[in-house]
Amino acid sequence: MTTDINQLKTKDTNQLEDKSTFAKQRIRLIFEPQSVVLIGSSKIDEEVGMTSPELFQNIAYNMKKYYKYTFSELDIEKSDSVSQADLAIIVLPPEQSVSWAEQAMMAGVQAIIQITGGFSDKVREQYLKLAMKYHVRLLGPNTIMGVVNPTIGLNTTFERNLMPVTGKISILSQSGGVGAALLDWAVFYRIGIGKFTFMGDKLDIDDINILNYLVEDPDTKVIAIYMEGIKAGRRFVKAAKNISREKPIVVLKGAITSESAKLAMSHTASIAGSDNIFNAAFKEAGIIRVKDIDELFNASLALAKQPPMKGKSVAVVSNVGGPAILAADALVREGLKLAHLTKKTKDIITKRYPGVDVINPVDIIADARSERFKFILEHVLNDPNVDGVMVINMLKSCFFKPEDAKVIPEVAKKFGKPVVDVPVGAEDFKLVSDILIESPIPTYDLPDKAAKALKVLFEYNKIKFGKEK
Amino acid sequence: MTAQKLFQKIRAEGRRELTELEAKTVLEDYNIPVVKTQLATSATEAVQIAADQGYPIVLKIASPDILHKIDAGGVRTFIETSTDVADAFTKIIENAKKYDPKARIHGVTVQHQIPRGVEIIVGGLKDPVFGACVMFGMGGTWVEVMNDVSFRLAPTTFVSAKEMMGEIKAYPLLTRYRGSEGVDIDGIADIIVKISKLMSENQDIAEIDVNPIFARVDSVIAVDARIVLEESG
Repeated sequence: MTTDINQLKTKDTNQLEDKSTFAKQRIRLIFEPQSVVLIGSSKIDEEVGMTSPELFQNIAYNMKKYYKYTFSELDIEKSDSVSQADLAIIVLPPEQSVSWAEQAMMAGVQAIIQITGGFSDKVREQYLKLAMKYHVRLLGPNTIMGVVNPTIGLNTTFERNLMPVTGKISILSQSGGVGAALLDWAVFYRIGIGKFTFMGDKLDIDDINILNYLVEDPDTKVIAIYMEGIKAGRRFVKAAKNISREKPIVVLKGAITSESAKLAMSHTASIAGSDNIFNAAFKEAGIIRVKDIDELFNASLALAKQPPMKGKSVAVVSNVGGPAILAADALVREGLKLAHLTKKTKDIITKRYPGVDVINPVDIIADARSERFKFILEHVLNDPNVDGVMVINMLKSCFFKPEDAKVIPEVAKKFGKPVVDVPVGAEDFKLVSDILIESPIPTYDLPDKAAKALKVLFEYNKIKFGKEK
Repeated sequence: MTAQKLFQKIRAEGRRELTELEAKTVLEDYNIPVVKTQLATSATEAVQIAADQGYPIVLKIASPDILHKIDAGGVRTFIETSTDVADAFTKIIENAKKYDPKARIHGVTVQHQIPRGVEIIVGGLKDPVFGACVMFGMGGTWVEVMNDVSFRLAPTTFVSAKEMMGEIKAYPLLTRYRGSEGVDIDGIADIIVKISKLMSENQDIAEIDVNPIFARVDSVIAVDARIVLEESG
C-alpha cells in the first residue's frame, strides 16, 4: 500500500516538486498563516496516535497566548462548523481527521498540520488523495509537535510556554524526541529560531519541500537538520546542493549503523556501510555534517551570526595564557592554522602596550579591560594575514568585566572577518554570554568548541565559493 | 562487446557475477589500464601464452563458480619456467575440481607478473538510497581491517577523486616520503573517475572491486577485478 502512495505522489509532480508557485505558496501557509483553525475534541482520548483533550487544550493555550492573527477553535463535540482559515491544525483520530480535513478543505483551508498519528495505509491514501484533489498541502500525520514560527507567534506544540526567541536558525527534525530536545535547548539558551519543523510521517510535505521553503524564507539564515533517513537520496542531494550555496545546511545524522553490508559480495560493498555513503552524499550536497547536538547548535550559531572564513589562519587574542594554548592546540587539531601577524601589526601593538608579547596567541595580560581589547582586536583584525579571530576573555583571575565584552561586536563589525568569543568557564561564560546574546558574536564556554565553529565557517566558505582565498 | 551486451549474455546464462576475464574486458572498454590476461584451456596453450607475455608469469583459475580463487588453491605467482607453467596449470585444475567438483571450469588465465608497487583498491557499489557510488582505499588486507576508505557519489570529477584520495589516513604512503618515490596519483584519480563513470552509466551493476591495482611512480595497472550485477535485470 505504501508503494501505491508513492506512485500517487510521483504522479502529481506539480504538488510535490514545488514547481508551481501555487504549491509553494501553500507550503508557506504552514508557517505563515493569516488565520488558523484548531480542530480537536475535548472528549476523545485515544491510546494510539496521541489524540487527547489535553493535547487539544495545550495547543489552544499556545495559540491564544502567542499567535498574532485570527485564531479559532473548533471542538467537534460542540458540532461547530468549519470557519474559513488558511491553516487547519487537526488533533483527532485518523478517520475523524480525514472527514474534518475534507470539510475544512471545502471551506477553503489551504494547508493542514496533522498533529496526531495512528493512520492505517488505507486512511493515509485516502487523506493524500483528498489533499491532492483540493491542492492542499499537508504536514504529517504524526508530526505531534508541528511547527513553530516565533516571528508571528505560531506554536502548534503541546508544550506550554516553550517558545523560542526569534532568530536566524531554522530547524527541521525527523524525530519528535530529538526535535523536542533541540527546542528545549533553544528556549533555555535563548538561541534565536527562524522556523521549527517536526516532519512527522511526510505523507505529502517532505524534507525537500521544507528546504525549498526555508531557502526563500528571509527569517532563515542557517538550516539545521536532525536526520534519520531519507528515501529519494539523489533528489535530496540535488535540492540540497542548490540550497547550500545560498544558505548553510548543517546535519546531525542518526541511525548510522549499516545493514546493507550483510549481503555484500565485494570488499567495496562490505566496507561501505550507510555512514560512508552519507558522508559522500553530504559532500556532494555541500552539507556540513556534525557529530552531536552540541555541535549542531555550535555550528549553526556561528553560521547564523558570522561570515564564512576565507582562509585557515586564525589569531587568538586572550587575557590569559593557558586557555590560549589550549585554543591553539584545538585550532591545529581542526586543521586550521595560527596566523603569522605582520611586523606592522606587531610594531603598532608593542608600541602602545610594551608589556604585550605579540606572537600568536596574543596574550594581552590579565589586567586588560575593554580599551586594550579594542585596540589590539582592531589591529589584529586589520592584519592581512588574519582570516578570523578567537577572543578569550576570562573574568576569574582577570580584571575583565562582562560589560567590557561589548567592544568585541563593535570592533568585529568593521572587518567582515569571523570573530568568536570564549569566556572560558561556567559562570564566566554565563555572565559574558548574557551581554553578547543579542550581538552577532557567538560565545562558547571552551576553546575547543570555538575552534570547531571557526572550522565550520571555513568549510562553509569552500561550499559557498568553491575555494580558499 | 559493449558492457551492456555482455551483461545481457551473463544474465541469459543465469549468472550475476562476471568472470575475471569478463570483468577485465569491461574495464578495458572504459580505458582502464588492465594487465593483459589470456585464457588457456590446456597446459600447452598456457606455455605458449607465457612465452608471448614474458616471465615471470601468474596463473589463476578461470571458473564462474569459484569466487575466492586463492581459497580454492587456484592462484600461482612468480612462475619462472615453461615446465613450472605446465605443472602449475595441471595443479590448479586439480585443486579447483577438489575444491568444488560441480564448478564449471573454463581453464586458467595467464598473465605477466608485473612489479607489485603499492596495492590499492578502487570499488563501486549501488547504494539503496543514493545509487551509484565509487570507493578508494589501500588494497590488500588494509581495506577491511582499517576501514580506511573514502567514497563519492558517481559520477565524480578528477578534482573530487584526488580529494577523496587525500581523505584516507594511509594517503602519505602514496606520496614521496623517506626516500620512497611515491606513486602516480593522477593515474589513480583517472581510474576512480572511470570507475565512477562505469557505475553511473550501467545502473545494473551492484558491486565492483578493482583489487588490487598496482600503483608505481610511472604506472598504475589493475591486476584483478570483480563485477557483480544487480539481482534482477
